Amino acid sequence: MQLKNRRNAALREIGTPLAAATCALLGQSAPGVVQAQELMPWDIDTSMLIYSESDGRVQDLSLNLWGRKELREDKFLGLTLAIDSLTGASPSGAMPANVVQTFTSPSGNSQYTVAPGEQALDTSFLDTRTALSASWEMPVARLGLLSVGANLSDEFDYTSTGVNARYARDFNNRNTTLSFGLALANDTVSPVGGSPIPFSPMLGLGDLRNKDGDQSKDVTDFLIGVSQVLNRHTIIQINYSLSQADGYLTDPYKLLSVVDPVTGNPVGGPPGSGRFGYLFESRPDTRDKQSVYALLKRNVGGDVLEVSYRYMTDDWDIDSHTIEARYRFNFGASRYLQPHVRFYQQSAANFYTTVLFAGAALPAYATADHRLGEFDGLTLGLKYGQETSRGSEWSARIEYYTQSGNASPGAAVGALANLDLYPDLNALIAQFSYKFGKR
Amino acid sequence: MKLVMKGVVGLLVPTAVALAGCARVEPWDRDVLARPDMQIVADPVEAAADEHIYFSKEASSGGQGFGGGGCGCN
Repeated sequence: MQLKNRRNAALREIGTPLAAATCALLGQSAPGVVQAQELMPWDIDTSMLIYSESDGRVQDLSLNLWGRKELREDKFLGLTLAIDSLTGASPSGAMPANVVQTFTSPSGNSQYTVAPGEQALDTSFLDTRTALSASWEMPVARLGLLSVGANLSDEFDYTSTGVNARYARDFNNRNTTLSFGLALANDTVSPVGGSPIPFSPMLGLGDLRNKDGDQSKDVTDFLIGVSQVLNRHTIIQINYSLSQADGYLTDPYKLLSVVDPVTGNPVGGPPGSGRFGYLFESRPDTRDKQSVYALLKRNVGGDVLEVSYRYMTDDWDIDSHTIEARYRFNFGASRYLQPHVRFYQQSAANFYTTVLFAGAALPAYATADHRLGEFDGLTLGLKYGQETSRGSEWSARIEYYTQSGNASPGAAVGALANLDLYPDLNALIAQFSYKFGKR
Repeated sequence: MKLVMKGVVGLLVPTAVALAGCARVEPWDRDVLARPDMQIVADPVEAAADEHIYFSKEASSGGQGFGGGGCGCN
């Protein structure tokens, strides 16, 4: 009897790593319990995220649902749903001035004012976004895995549809995986009040002569990557991606201030408009981006270290570096604490400028959108997760994200030299997630 | 495009060849690598949320997967 019990215990000990190894062999993550001949039940993750920028800027409440189900043996259906509710104020691209500035809202039906010295924020920012995606994953021969998917997202002024496919194949006794991916998307933008004609001036209330109809763009993404098991505790991944966008890449709500080249003060706008000189921005209609991404993941005495680096470059002359690290302290099998740090740095697009000067010839393209300027970003975060007695898991994370650019670039002449042309962005991210257990 | 393909071949082929020479971990030694927290994307919901946030606030996107997007936020 004693012998039998001992034998059962020994079998159980062997069983867990064996099940894990079997899953690894199948290229799947290890479930808590492996049941032969039975399809895996739904994997469901849910989360609520709050993204909140200081100074009354963008606020986002996001609800997310992620599900995965084995419908046939080794064939999985994946579904995601995200609903975002956006409010707050968004920088318009216009620069601060020493006088009160009045802007026409994008609809052309209302106006808002910005106090002297203050950042120009468009307060009419309000949107709800719903995004859906579905994917189907299936094995191809013994060592391949094919995944195809479609996605749809809809906002008040923006619709995106896309399809994607990814094929991964294992080599080298499943220690090496090569993957290829292709994604195609078609986006339509229907700006409130119409899409502004590039470099057209902001007009007065109710005057929509500078507005055009809907616009669209096509985006093609290509990805090739390799992941490699280095040893029993370490895995790495290296990806190369190429993204080509073609069509309307301008932000229909972004402006450029036209200032006096000596005093730096805003100049008058179109006669009778009651506005200073503001022109709608203009961007090229193609953009090619390339990036290289490398990730290392290592088990450190039961904890997990994850370090990644991404280099991105594009034909708008933007280069960026992203370094990210997470360290997951596992306390036993059911609790963990995970600090996170992310450094980001980008150079400016070659057509980025803070202002346009009155009397000077217009460049081919220009934008004052801070996101295309030179800046550094820093994220610091902490996440805590815990497994419940029923095998579910909840986690909560809080992160702080800050962006700082060059507040007074070379274009700052006269009055502009004393104004903050690139105010810092500070945001708080809070997310609560719940992963349903299978027990 | 030619230059891009050269870059892909120049970067990935030597990497793949070098990696193929790495020590092999047998299937029965995959207990650690099979743990959920050791998966390349351990938390897909968090990864998607971050991708969405940084896509809307920075000029870069993607790398780990496709470039996010499908949103008028950028």
